[in-house]
Amino acid sequence: MEEDPFDFESDALLASSPVVAPKRRKKVIGLDDLLMDHYKEKNRVIERESKLAKTKKTYNSDDEEDGRVAKLSKYVDECHEKMTRLSDEDDVSIWGLQVFGNQKSPPSSVFTDLSSCSFFQSFLSHEVNSLVELNTESEEMFFEGLLTNGWLLKLVIKCGKVEKSIARWTFHLMMYSSKEVLRSAAVNFWCAIFLQKDEGDSMPLSIEWLPSYSELKSALETYGYLLDSPKKDSCDADMDIGDSKHMGPPQNIRVWIKYVSACSQSRKFHYIFSTSEAEDLVVIIICLLLDRQLLGLSMDLHECMLSLINFFKDEEWSASCTRTAKSVTMRVPLDINCLRAVECIPSVCLRAKQLRSTISFRILLGYFDKVEDEEEVIRQLTLINLKDKSCDLFRIYIYLVLTENWFLYNLEEKPLLNEMWGLYLRNCCCQINITDTRSYASKVRSKASYLLQATSDTLL
Amino acid sequence: MGTKRRRGGNGGMEENALAILDTSCFSKSTQHIADDRLSFLEAVRSGFLVPENPPAPTNKIYKAVFQILKDENSLYLITSSYQLLLELDKRFPHVYLSTAKKSELSSPSSLPCNELVVVEEAWSPFSFGTDVSSSEKEDHGKTSESLDVTAFHLLIQDLTKVPDEENNEVLDSKPLRNMLLFQYLVSVLEGDFVLRNLAFTENSDWITLRESLLNMILVSRKITYKGLIKDWLSAMCELSQFSIDCSHDLRPSETESPEVTEKSHTALAIALPEIVKRTCVSVQKFLLMIIELDSSKKTADTKGWTTRADGVRTQAMEIIMEELTYDKNILFPFLQALDKPKLKLDMIVQYFQKYIPKTSVRTRRSNGSTDDSTFGGVLKCFSNGNNTKSIIKKINTEVAQLLLAHAFQAYISLHSTENKEDIADNSLPEICKNMISAFTCLKKTDEHTVIPPFGKEALFTAAIMLSGV
Repeated sequence: MEEDPFDFESDALLASSPVVAPKRRKKVIGLDDLLMDHYKEKNRVIERESKLAKTKKTYNSDDEEDGRVAKLSKYVDECHEKMTRLSDEDDVSIWGLQVFGNQKSPPSSVFTDLSSCSFFQSFLSHEVNSLVELNTESEEMFFEGLLTNGWLLKLVIKCGKVEKSIARWTFHLMMYSSKEVLRSAAVNFWCAIFLQKDEGDSMPLSIEWLPSYSELKSALETYGYLLDSPKKDSCDADMDIGDSKHMGPPQNIRVWIKYVSACSQSRKFHYIFSTSEAEDLVVIIICLLLDRQLLGLSMDLHECMLSLINFFKDEEWSASCTRTAKSVTMRVPLDINCLRAVECIPSVCLRAKQLRSTISFRILLGYFDKVEDEEEVIRQLTLINLKDKSCDLFRIYIYLVLTENWFLYNLEEKPLLNEMWGLYLRNCCCQINITDTRSYASKVRSKASYLLQATSDTLL
Repeated sequence: MGTKRRRGGNGGMEENALAILDTSCFSKSTQHIADDRLSFLEAVRSGFLVPENPPAPTNKIYKAVFQILKDENSLYLITSSYQLLLELDKRFPHVYLSTAKKSELSSPSSLPCNELVVVEEAWSPFSFGTDVSSSEKEDHGKTSESLDVTAFHLLIQDLTKVPDEENNEVLDSKPLRNMLLFQYLVSVLEGDFVLRNLAFTENSDWITLRESLLNMILVSRKITYKGLIKDWLSAMCELSQFSIDCSHDLRPSETESPEVTEKSHTALAIALPEIVKRTCVSVQKFLLMIIELDSSKKTADTKGWTTRADGVRTQAMEIIMEELTYDKNILFPFLQALDKPKLKLDMIVQYFQKYIPKTSVRTRRSNGSTDDSTFGGVLKCFSNGNNTKSIIKKINTEVAQLLLAHAFQAYISLHSTENKEDIADNSLPEICKNMISAFTCLKKTDEHTVIPPFGKEALFTAAIMLSGV
C-alpha cells in the first residue's frame, strides 16, 4: 500500500485493453484462445479494481489525504478514458446520407371539377338522392368518404374508366395530403387499379389521366429530396440543416414508394415511365435506402426496387443496368456509404445480383484512376502491401466487400479473375497479423478468411 | 426425403458466420455489437440466400437470427432480422409438398403425388411444454430462445397497448419490434398450417393437422383459449383504429441529434403507420386460420377422427359474435377493420338473425320463403314495415343502417371476385334495389333518422350500380 499512487500500474491498465494481446498463435482465428485471454484480462482488471477500491478506502479513512484521493481518482478516470478510446479506435463508420432537406410547400390545387364526373352527375337526378340529399357543395367531403371507405374503386370498376377529375384528385391526395387516412386510401385506390388482374371477361380500365414521371419527381422535390444532381463531396457540413419542423421527408414518402412500385408492375397495360425514367427511379430508390430516416421502410423500398428492376424487358436490361450503375456511382460518395449502396440491393434474383455486381465494379473503378479493365482492377488489389503501416485498412475493407459483390454475377466464366481474387483474399488473411492494432485490421482479416472459406467451399 | 443431406455439410461457413457474433464479447461499445450482428445477418444472407443451391442453415443460425429480432432495440437490426427470417422460411420451408422429386423418380406415367413433407428436426420459434426440458439440455441450461405459448399470448396483449405507447412523447422501438415479431410468428404459423389443412381436406389426415403449430397453441393448457381470442379482438380493434386516426406527423423530439446517422426517432415515426397496417393484416390472417382450423376440426369431429385428447373448444367465431353483441362499442371498429368480405358478410347476417323476428315471419309465411340466412333474405326483412320496426326497437336505426352498408360493401367485394358461389342467391341489381328499399323503409319507420355518411355512400353506390353508366 505504500507505492506511489501516481505510478499506479498505469501501463498495465492501458495494456489491459483486449486489443493488445501479444502472443503467437498457430491458427489464424483461435476464438477459444481469444476468449481465454479475454477472461484473463477481465479478471486482472477486476483484481486491480478491487485493489483500487481498497486503496481508496485507506485514503478515505484519512481526511488529510482527500486531495490526493481526488487526484488519484481523476488520474484513474483519465486512464479509463484512454483505455476506452484505445478500444474504440477501430470505431466502425456508420453509413447514412442526408437525402432530404427542407420541404417545400406543396402545389395548391382546388378540385372543383369532381362533381363533373359522370356518375356523380347521373346521381344528382336519381330518385335515391331524396334519401342521400347530395348537392355539389359538399362534394369533396362526400368523395373523401367514397375514397376512404373503398366505394370509389368499385364505382370506377363498374364504369370501366377512371375519369380525369378523379385521377388528378386522388393523385394529389396521395402525394400531398397530410391526412394519413386520405393518402393511404388514395394509394390503395391506385395500387388496386394498377395491379388489377386482367380477367378476360372484364375490359381493362381506361385511365383518362396518368401522372407523368415529372409529376412524381416534383412531388419528391417538394418533400425536400436533395440528391438529384450528381455530387461527390460530402455535403453535410455546409448543408443548411434548417429547422427540424420543415425537414423532409414527410409521411407521404411511404405512399410515393408504394405508388412507384405498383406503377412499374403494370407496364403491360399502362405506359407510365420510359426506360430511362425507370433507371432514374432505381437510382432514387438506392439513394432513399441511404437515408437512415427511412430504415423502417426498407421492406417497401426493396419491394419497389425489385418491381423496378423487373420493369425492364430482357433486351433492355443489360444496358439499363450499366447506365443505372454509372449514375449511382456519380451520386454516392466513396466511403462507407458506397458499401451500403451495394448491400441495400436485395440479391434475391439474377437481375438484382447483376445490378449489385455492376455497381460494385463501377465504384471500384472510381477508386483507381485510369483503370477500365477488370483484370487490371484486381491486379491493383493484389499489389497493395497490407503490411505497410500507411495502408488504409478501412479502404481495403471496402475493396473486399465491393469485390465480393462484383463477383456475385458471372463468376464462373472468368477463372483468371477468380484465381486472383483468391490470391487477394489470402493476402488479406496472411499479411494482417492477429495482433495488428490498426483500425479495421480484424474486420478485414475475418472477412477475408470468411470469404476464402466460402470460395473454397464452392470450388469443392 | 433428402432433407438430411440438405441440412448437412455446411459446417465451415456456418461456424464462421456464428463466430462473427461470438466476437461481440470482446468489445464493449454497443455500436460494435450492433455492427457484428449486422455482419452476421449479412453473412447468413450471403451464405444461405444468395447462392443458387445453398445448404439449409442449421437451427443454431435460426436461433441466433430470431434472438436478434426478439431482443434488439435498433430499428435497423430488427427489420433486417425480420426480413431475413421471412426469406429463409420462404427458401427453406419446414412443411412442403414433394411433387417434383417424386415425379422425377417414379415413372412419368404415374400421377404426381402431393405428399406432405414435414421437416421434423426443423427449428421453430415456438416451444411447447414437452420440448422445454429437451431443449434446455441442448442449450446447457440457457433459457430457451423460442417463445412458449404464454409468451405468444402476452405478445398479443402487448399489441393492444401499441397505440398507448405510441402516444408517448418518445417513440421507442419496442412496440415496433413486437409488431414485427407477431407478423413473423403469424407467417410461421401460416406456412405450417396451410399445407397441413390442405392435406386434411384432400386426404382426411387429421393427425397432421392436429400437430400443426396453430392447433398446438390453441389446445395448450398454459393459456385460456377464450382469453386469447378476446385479446386478439381488442388488438385488432385498437390497431385498426390507430391506423385510421393516425395523425403521426413527424414530431422531431428536442433530444434528436442533428447527426445524419442518428435519426432513429424520425425513422420510427415514418415506419410506424405502415407496420401497424401490416400488423392488422397479420392479425386478421391469424383469425382466418383459426376459423379454418375450427371448421376442419368440426368435420373431423363429425367423422369421428378426433379423440378425447383433442378436447372441446368453442368456435372462435362464436366467441367473437358474443363479444360483439355485448360490447357495442367495438362492433363498428371491428367491421371497419375486417377486410375479409366473406367473413364480414357472414357475420353481419348472423348478427341480424338474432334480431329478426323469426316466429312472426314463419307464421305469416309458413313455407319459409323468407330465408334470413343470406344477405338477400335480411334485406327482404327490411321491406316489411313491421319487421323493420321490431328490429330497430332492439338495435337502433343507425346501427341497422351501418350494418346494412357494411354488408353491402362486402357483398360487392365478393361479387367482383371469382368465387361468386358464396353469394349466388341474389343478383347484384336485385340486392342494390333491395338496399335502396330497405333504407327507404327505415326512413319511413323512423322519420327523424339521419343517414350516416357511410350509409349514404352505400346508397350512392347502389344507385350507380343500378344505373347504366
